[in-house]
Amino acid sequence: MSKRIRSNIARGSAEIAILALLAEQPLYGFEIAKQIGERTGGALKFTLASLYPLLYEMEKRGWVEAYWQANAAGRDRRYYRLTLIGRRQLAPLRAEWRSFFHALDALAGVSHA
Amino acid sequence: MPDWKMLVRRRLGHVDLPSGSAKAVVSELAAHLEETYQHALANGLTNRAAIRLALQEVDDWRVLAVNISRAKEGLMNHRTKSLWLPALITLSAASVSLAVTQFLRTQPRLVWIGGWGMTFYWQWLATLPLFGALGARLSQRAEGTTRARLAAGLAPSLTMLIVMSLILPWGLAIDGFHFFRLVGFGLGLVNWVAIPAAALLIGALPFAFRSGWNLRVNA
Repeated sequence: MSKRIRSNIARGSAEIAILALLAEQPLYGFEIAKQIGERTGGALKFTLASLYPLLYEMEKRGWVEAYWQANAAGRDRRYYRLTLIGRRQLAPLRAEWRSFFHALDALAGVSHA
Repeated sequence: MPDWKMLVRRRLGHVDLPSGSAKAVVSELAAHLEETYQHALANGLTNRAAIRLALQEVDDWRVLAVNISRAKEGLMNHRTKSLWLPALITLSAASVSLAVTQFLRTQPRLVWIGGWGMTFYWQWLATLPLFGALGARLSQRAEGTTRARLAAGLAPSLTMLIVMSLILPWGLAIDGFHFFRLVGFGLGLVNWVAIPAAALLIGALPFAFRSGWNLRVNA
C-alpha cells in the first residue's frame, strides 16, 4: 500500500473520530486526544503534532468552531464544538467508512465479529 | 515546571501567521503540553519523565509550524497574503496607470533643477497615493505588520530602486565611470523612486499604523 493511501486512510479516520466525538459534546484538544485514545483502546492515538493541524483545518472548513473557556482552576482551554456543517459531514462520512469496512471484510475477512 | 508558553514560542519559531492567531496557537499548544505533563505526574511519573513525555508529543517543530500555517492559511501563507500579493497588485496598478498616461500621449513636464532637466508625469504621480493606499489597505486587511503595509504600498518605488541599483553597476562596468552618469542616476532616483515614493506614502500612511476595521461582531 502506498504511503499516500495510508496517509489518506489515517487522515479520514482521524476526521471521523474527531467529528463523532464532538457530536457528543464540546471538548478541548487534550481531552479529544485522551478520549480517542481511551475509547479505541489505544488503536487511534493523537499527539499534539497530529491533532492540532487537523483541528485548525476543520475549523477553517467550518466543520468545527472554537471558543476559549476557563476551567474551575482558572486555566484557559480552547474548546471545539461541531457546527451545523460539521454535523452534516458526519452522516456521509459514517456511511463511507461503513461501506469501506464491508468491502474490506468481504475481501479479507477483517470483521471483528 | 517548565514555562510551556516560552517553550512552544521558541520551538515553533516564526510560524507564518497573523500575530493574534500565532499567540492563540502558542497558548493552546502550551496548554496541551502542560496538561500532558500534569496528567503524567498524576499517573506517578517523575518530573523529568513527565517533561520528556510531554515533549514527545512533537517530533519536529518545524514540520508542525508548517502544518499549522498551511491548515490555518490554506495555499497562500500569511506573508504572501499580507505582503507579496498586495505589493504585486500595487505595482501592477501603478504600471498600468503609467502606461495609460503615456498611451494618452500626456506630455511630461520638464523641470530644470540647477541646469539639469527632469521630466515628471504629474498626472501619473497624482494617481500614486491611491495605489499606495490600495497596497497598504490590502496588507492591513490581511493583518500585515506596519512594515509589510508600507512595503506593499511603496512596492512600485522599491521595485524601481532595485532595478536602478542593478543598472548602475552594470552601466559603470560597461561604459566606465563618468560624473554625468552618476548625476543622471541620482536624478533618476529622485524622479522614479523618491518622488513616487512620497506620493505612494501619502496614500499608504493612513493604513500603515492603525489597526484594521473590526468587521466581526464578537460573540
